[in-house]
Amino acid sequence: MAATRVMASAGNAVSTPQSLNLCFKNGRLLTQKKRLFFVNNNSSKKLMLSVVHSFPCAHRSCRFTTTVRAESTNGSEPSANYDFDLFTIGAGSGGVRASRFAANFGAKVAVCELPFATVSSDSAGGVGGTCVLRGCVPKKLLVYASKFSHEFEESGGFGWSYDAEPKHDWSTLIANKNAELQRLVGIYKNILKNSGAMLLEGRGKIVDPHTVDINGKLYSAKNILIAVGGRPFIPDIPGSEYAIDSDAALDLPSKPKKIAIVGGGYIAVEFAGIFNGLKSGVHVFIRQKKLLRGFDEEVRDFLGEQMSLRGINIHSEETPQAIVKSSDGLLSLKTNKGTVDGFTHVMFATGRKPNTKNLGLEAVGVNLSINGAIEVDEFSRTSVPSIWAVGDVTDRINLTPVALMEGGALAKTLFANEPTKPDHSAVPCAVFSQPPIGQVGLTEDQAVKEYGDIDVYTSNFRPLKATLSGLPDRVFMKLIVCAKTNKVIGLHMCGEESAEIVQGFAIAVKAGLTKADFDATIGIHPTAAEEFVTMRTPTRKIRSAPSEGKSDSDAKAAAGV
Amino acid sequence: MARKMLIDGELDKANEAESHYDFDLFVIGAGSGGVRASRFSAQNGAKVAICELPFHPISSEVIGGVGGTCVIRGCVPKKILVYGASFGPELEDARNYGWDVNEKIDFNWKKLLQKKTEEINRLNGIYKRLLSGAGVKLFEGEGRVIGPNEVEVIQLDGTKISYSAKHILIATGSRAQRLPIPGQELGITSDEALSLEELPKHAVILGGGYIAVEFASIWRGMGAKVDLFYRKDLPLRGFDDEMREVVAKNLEGRGIKLHPSTNLKELSKTEGGVKVLTDHGEEIVADVVLFATGRTPNSKRLNLEAVGVELDKAGAIKVNQYSQTNMPSIWAIGDVTNRMNLTPVALMEGTCFANTVFGGKPMAPDYSNIACAVFCIPPLSVVGLSEQEAVEKAKGDILIFTSTFNPMKNTISGRQEKTMMKLVVDAETDKVLGASMCGPDAAEIMQGIAIALKCGATKAQFESTVGIHPSAAEEFVTMRSATRRVSAGTAKPRTNL
Repeated sequence: MAATRVMASAGNAVSTPQSLNLCFKNGRLLTQKKRLFFVNNNSSKKLMLSVVHSFPCAHRSCRFTTTVRAESTNGSEPSANYDFDLFTIGAGSGGVRASRFAANFGAKVAVCELPFATVSSDSAGGVGGTCVLRGCVPKKLLVYASKFSHEFEESGGFGWSYDAEPKHDWSTLIANKNAELQRLVGIYKNILKNSGAMLLEGRGKIVDPHTVDINGKLYSAKNILIAVGGRPFIPDIPGSEYAIDSDAALDLPSKPKKIAIVGGGYIAVEFAGIFNGLKSGVHVFIRQKKLLRGFDEEVRDFLGEQMSLRGINIHSEETPQAIVKSSDGLLSLKTNKGTVDGFTHVMFATGRKPNTKNLGLEAVGVNLSINGAIEVDEFSRTSVPSIWAVGDVTDRINLTPVALMEGGALAKTLFANEPTKPDHSAVPCAVFSQPPIGQVGLTEDQAVKEYGDIDVYTSNFRPLKATLSGLPDRVFMKLIVCAKTNKVIGLHMCGEESAEIVQGFAIAVKAGLTKADFDATIGIHPTAAEEFVTMRTPTRKIRSAPSEGKSDSDAKAAAGV
Repeated sequence: MARKMLIDGELDKANEAESHYDFDLFVIGAGSGGVRASRFSAQNGAKVAICELPFHPISSEVIGGVGGTCVIRGCVPKKILVYGASFGPELEDARNYGWDVNEKIDFNWKKLLQKKTEEINRLNGIYKRLLSGAGVKLFEGEGRVIGPNEVEVIQLDGTKISYSAKHILIATGSRAQRLPIPGQELGITSDEALSLEELPKHAVILGGGYIAVEFASIWRGMGAKVDLFYRKDLPLRGFDDEMREVVAKNLEGRGIKLHPSTNLKELSKTEGGVKVLTDHGEEIVADVVLFATGRTPNSKRLNLEAVGVELDKAGAIKVNQYSQTNMPSIWAIGDVTNRMNLTPVALMEGTCFANTVFGGKPMAPDYSNIACAVFCIPPLSVVGLSEQEAVEKAKGDILIFTSTFNPMKNTISGRQEKTMMKLVVDAETDKVLGASMCGPDAAEIMQGIAIALKCGATKAQFESTVGIHPSAAEEFVTMRSATRRVSAGTAKPRTNL
């Protein structure tokens, strides 16, 4: 270990993150100088980050982790034989979390990531990953921007008026959004550095169960973590080269005048809301009858209605078959039902695929599922004992906070001597459609399947704000209760602030609280959320089979479902 | 009576035949508590009557209206004005998001007021229909108690009719109060503030409670100049000190001039408006002076003393845990009892009353872990104990988790305003004792957290819940390390602001 030395020089990290000069001997990393120089992204001030600090730590930690491993079944060789205790490929949410926590537990950690770009590819990515660069964050920023138009409309009912209708300038938004993303990338890099993990730029490829190749240089690691995420997928139809995906949609040079969005998942409905709010003409094409397969049926119906009321054209059971570019440069979409034309943009939100190609996975024997996701056990371990995977690349529940949970659990398992399984039950999630959806637990269909007898409470109301604004906005809420245990097993909401509202309820659902517990809680007045604690009478009771004490009204209610 | 009454509560000793009385229950006051109690009692089979003063947005001894404070002069109109006021700052926020909002924006107070009145009229109608739908007989007029089982209703034309009732429930609520200083009649209360003819250009508000900070935010959001005076060094006494500091900072950040530790001494009329003299010798001329100096229970004209119902010093009706006064047939709920003056609490008290007296299920309202919200802009919402209360009550150490962050929306809007969240945790049991938040959507966010606290959730249970990303609320389940540990009985803890 004492012989291990790293030499890294650094120039300007703003445009091209630094290539590190690393010296190797017999496949092991050598340090010639113990200092790394970086340039802070936000100012020209030079930061001198010293890894000298981290070395004594690393020494201590090596002893520590060795002891831990002696007790665990992870491996036979002492970690000192490797350059790193953990080598993470991919610095998105899951990778950064696992790396930081591992480093905090005393492990010697390296993370590699592709160079920054807003649109991802086999050779471009960036620290922060999908969430920060091409997902949650930029999406939410655009949602904020697009929501204002609805607020302008609402404000009329509250006495506000404008000389001229507010106009939106796309380039201002995109410039401000990108500045924010740059800031966040800087923060992520600092978080990694401060934790003591070493960041390497380049494409990581697995050579053997303990070796990663980056730009032709080999690094050995006791454990390898794959956290390379997923990427949008566009099906191969004639003219698909004219289509954009969500990466591109978040960073378009100009705002679409009229956009076709193909797909009915959360990405499709979110972008439909964004472009509709920014006054593009929006057409959504879905294969099924309803949006958002997998969500509660009533929520799906409700969202479809609300989106239509806000001016989004939903073409259900209409599958695109080809995109044709006409002489005026506009795009036409040929579907099974006809042709819709005049689009400036056609966006495919037709799913995402794990980034598992060209990682060397097959060669080292890491099992993949049919869709290319890495198969892992409950501890996120692949079929190769020294290789682990977290986040979207495993295609379990593809959400940032889940990747964080998986990453955190993995760090505990490997380096805190505390084998931890991420718990994928009752994970809440939100769709930032307009209006948004929040949910936790089971849908009604799932609940019936799993529990048979359930009570369903629903509320569909006009919020106070809408009574004044005069807009047709409504709120839908739903509680699903296990009839036998009285536990709340599903909670759904579609309406303003659903995402914020559902978080607290998720604690209650996760903790296994009952409908009686909900009822015992006093409402906060006047809010929308108080409706969840004031639902007194079930909308319907569903019973799988007639039971002894069953009343007539129950039977009627069940029949009415 | 069409249906036989269910078993009376155990507290009912009289056990006289029902037919002796005109009604099983006579309720005075058709606000949140009274309407709830009437409806639920009727649903339990009781024959119920309720009386209420004629409708008017501004209350007095002789006017009120079905719906009560919440619907006519409180929660609902206030929230409507808060919505209206929020658009002002929203327009500012829109600019950096690429919206070219014309400089010439007009806000029409009269239009908002008219729409507000329409909405209140609509709700007033809904409440009346709720009552008739439940089979409750509504009388318009002023109710007075003239005996343990007798109520007199003074009708609009002055005629009096008396009714006998097995039980009498007083739910007359409370009313805004002015400070007894010279020129007090020149000031207004929240009742008038919700129905002003014109939007003030310059408002002076006296008071540090929730009503004061809410109106400060409302008028400021609509573009008025606002001076807020209060006696303490921070507004919102009783709330967590650190959160009070955040609220003060936010009010100031949004352009409200704060005058801590200052009282108003005298109001006088001048040409430019009302001249305010402070106890620091300062003079300000404003078009509106609002007294948000507390509320007083509406117990004076009910003839309670004569009948022997005990009141406390503040004029609130004294009740036991079942909301029963010292007279067994007379009960009281809601603000007139001055327990916890919130609409949902009055509803709870009303429900418990109906269950106790007519449902055969004696039920005492539970005042633990009741969440509440202050709709200043941005709002504050809390549930459970403040840090100070927790430290005072604690036997062992208290862990304080705080998070102060720039909400994502502000990263582009450029608004300089932090959101703050706080969890107060018992170090030994890991139970979350208190939660507070000041920031956008705080009231909506806190409702679910309140269930968790009500059921004794631990910090570990908070942490085992996966976040909803990206939201502000997820911060409540991702606070990993304690900001500080406070030992029981220590002096006032330091805040880190």
